[in-house]
Amino acid sequence: MSPSPAIEVRDLSKRFGDVEAVRGVSFTVKEGEIFGFLGPNGAGKTTTIKMLCTLLAPTSGSLRLAGFDVTKSPEDVRRSIGVIFQDPSLDDRLTAEENLMLHAVVYGVPRAERRARLDEALAFVDLSDRKKDLVRTFSGGMKRRLEIARGLVHRPRVLFLDEPTTGLDPQTRNATWEVLRDLRDRNGMTLFLTTHYMDEAENCDRIAVIDHGRIVAEDSPEALKRAVGKDVVFVRTNEPAALCAVLAERYGLTPDRTEEGLCFRVEDGEAFVVRLVSEARVAVTGIAVRRPTLDDVFLALTGRQIRNGNSEAGRDAMRAMARRR
Amino acid sequence: MRAEVVYHLARRDVVKFLRDRQNLVATLVRPLLWVLAVGFGLRRAVGTGATGVDFVSFLVPGVATMAVLFSSMFSAISIVWDREFGFLKELLVAPVPRATLVLAKMISASVTALIEVSVVLLVAPLLGARIDPLGALLAIPVLVAFGMSVSALGITVASRMKTFEGFGGIVNFLIQPVFFFSGALYPLDGLPPALAVVVRLNPMSYAVDATRGLCVGVHHFPIPLDVGIVLATLALLGTLAVRSFSRMQA
Ligand SMILES: Nc1ncnc2c1ncn2[C@@H]1O[C@H](COP(=O)(O)OP(=O)(O)O)[C@@H](O)[C@H]1O
Ligand SMILES: [Mg+2]
Repeated sequence: MSPSPAIEVRDLSKRFGDVEAVRGVSFTVKEGEIFGFLGPNGAGKTTTIKMLCTLLAPTSGSLRLAGFDVTKSPEDVRRSIGVIFQDPSLDDRLTAEENLMLHAVVYGVPRAERRARLDEALAFVDLSDRKKDLVRTFSGGMKRRLEIARGLVHRPRVLFLDEPTTGLDPQTRNATWEVLRDLRDRNGMTLFLTTHYMDEAENCDRIAVIDHGRIVAEDSPEALKRAVGKDVVFVRTNEPAALCAVLAERYGLTPDRTEEGLCFRVEDGEAFVVRLVSEARVAVTGIAVRRPTLDDVFLALTGRQIRNGNSEAGRDAMRAMARRR
Repeated sequence: MRAEVVYHLARRDVVKFLRDRQNLVATLVRPLLWVLAVGFGLRRAVGTGATGVDFVSFLVPGVATMAVLFSSMFSAISIVWDREFGFLKELLVAPVPRATLVLAKMISASVTALIEVSVVLLVAPLLGARIDPLGALLAIPVLVAFGMSVSALGITVASRMKTFEGFGGIVNFLIQPVFFFSGALYPLDGLPPALAVVVRLNPMSYAVDATRGLCVGVHHFPIPLDVGIVLATLALLGTLAVRSFSRMQA
């Protein structure tokens, strides 16, 4: 018996009046995979998650989750999933512990295991010492971590995370990602997440780039970036003119001169650098290869940039663009 | 449907009710103000009238039923609250039938109402009302059933309302006539015919009648009829609430 895919979506559409939020989306997520929806605000990410977790009826298309038909067996689906919503969903007039306990009961965690699961989940997100406090006294980041902990209490097969780290500081974001990878590695949990952060999407095994309700590309982050373009190579040297001549004559490249050396774009930068070093008779003092970012991918696919507040990759890409001009 | 789930869901509302001290005090004092102001205010003017009992004693069961009406109706506002603050999504995505959520809400509403009723019934004798303790105990299940049906109506409204203002508007529109045309404040004997018809169409009249009959021995309809109508209302409004709540999308 081959295991059914964790998520299987065919021709999914959702219309709100005149707005076509999702227009014929198809994709499959394997068990134990980290799958990401990458797209700008309004692309249809949240709408897709809501349909997958039974909160919204699709206009058309088929949805299967852990082998269950989402529209026909919503309760089986709900038992198999955990959801971390984009917007807050805690009862902030209860304590952290009370929020998790209610969740454990509702999701049928056996009574004998509840305490241990709660303590484990709270320790996981580093909130053990605040468990008796009312949630309304928590910071935004703490609330988010508590929501993640809650999503783990019943050990779902598939965990949905809608923009899980939006609004978190970089430290907390990294810590959150450690937690998420750890979950997949230890429990084989399937993760479906949405994001508009390029650097966050890098953490996924596969991503679907979504724009205006359609998937415009779907692959591993590496493959997407490879498909889009060439690597950027920086070479530092004391003889820039000589190296420049070599690059132009031998490889037909027209490098840009920078203060520290030369910069050019080439397919498979690492392999090229190895060749260059062995073939060119010019003293090279330093080399750096930068892959195209997912920003470059999105730009190539849609002609627009994802607007991404304080994303690291975003800033890098902007700087790279500025350099190119 | 697992009883444990219902218990924990209902407990959440009750815990929050008890935790909000200011609201708790106001809620418990309000019915007593009715007994003091209206009861003692009108006592001389009304006398024992046609009912044969002192007006304060006559009024207490009406005020108790009124407390159940207001408290149960407004407890459903927690659904609007939960939607506003996002917790409703967590409930709707949980692997439990929607009917479980509705039942839990009805139970927590009637438990909080019962806390108020208990205060009224315990304090009233200190104010001079003559209440039969055994009868009061028997009236409790009637008030619970009435409270559950009122909260079911509140849930039906809340399932369709997206804002506090919307909920408040509809509920106030419903609650005033139900209260004033119920006999909570006056005896049902010898009413003008038009008023008598309206009162007979109002399910609350039967809840008041049964409570008053059991607590002070004055009633207009046979008590089994009262109880039957209260239960039938509960079945009807409970079904309506489950249906509305199940149709709701996040
Ligand atoms: N309940 C709704 N009613 C009407 N339009 C909606 C509703 N939910 C989402 N939309 C619209 O659908 C589109 C996709 O929204 P959403 O799925 O939230 O995007 P994302 O999560 O990718 O930012 C947007 O244009 C949004 O305005
Ligand atoms: Mg969204």
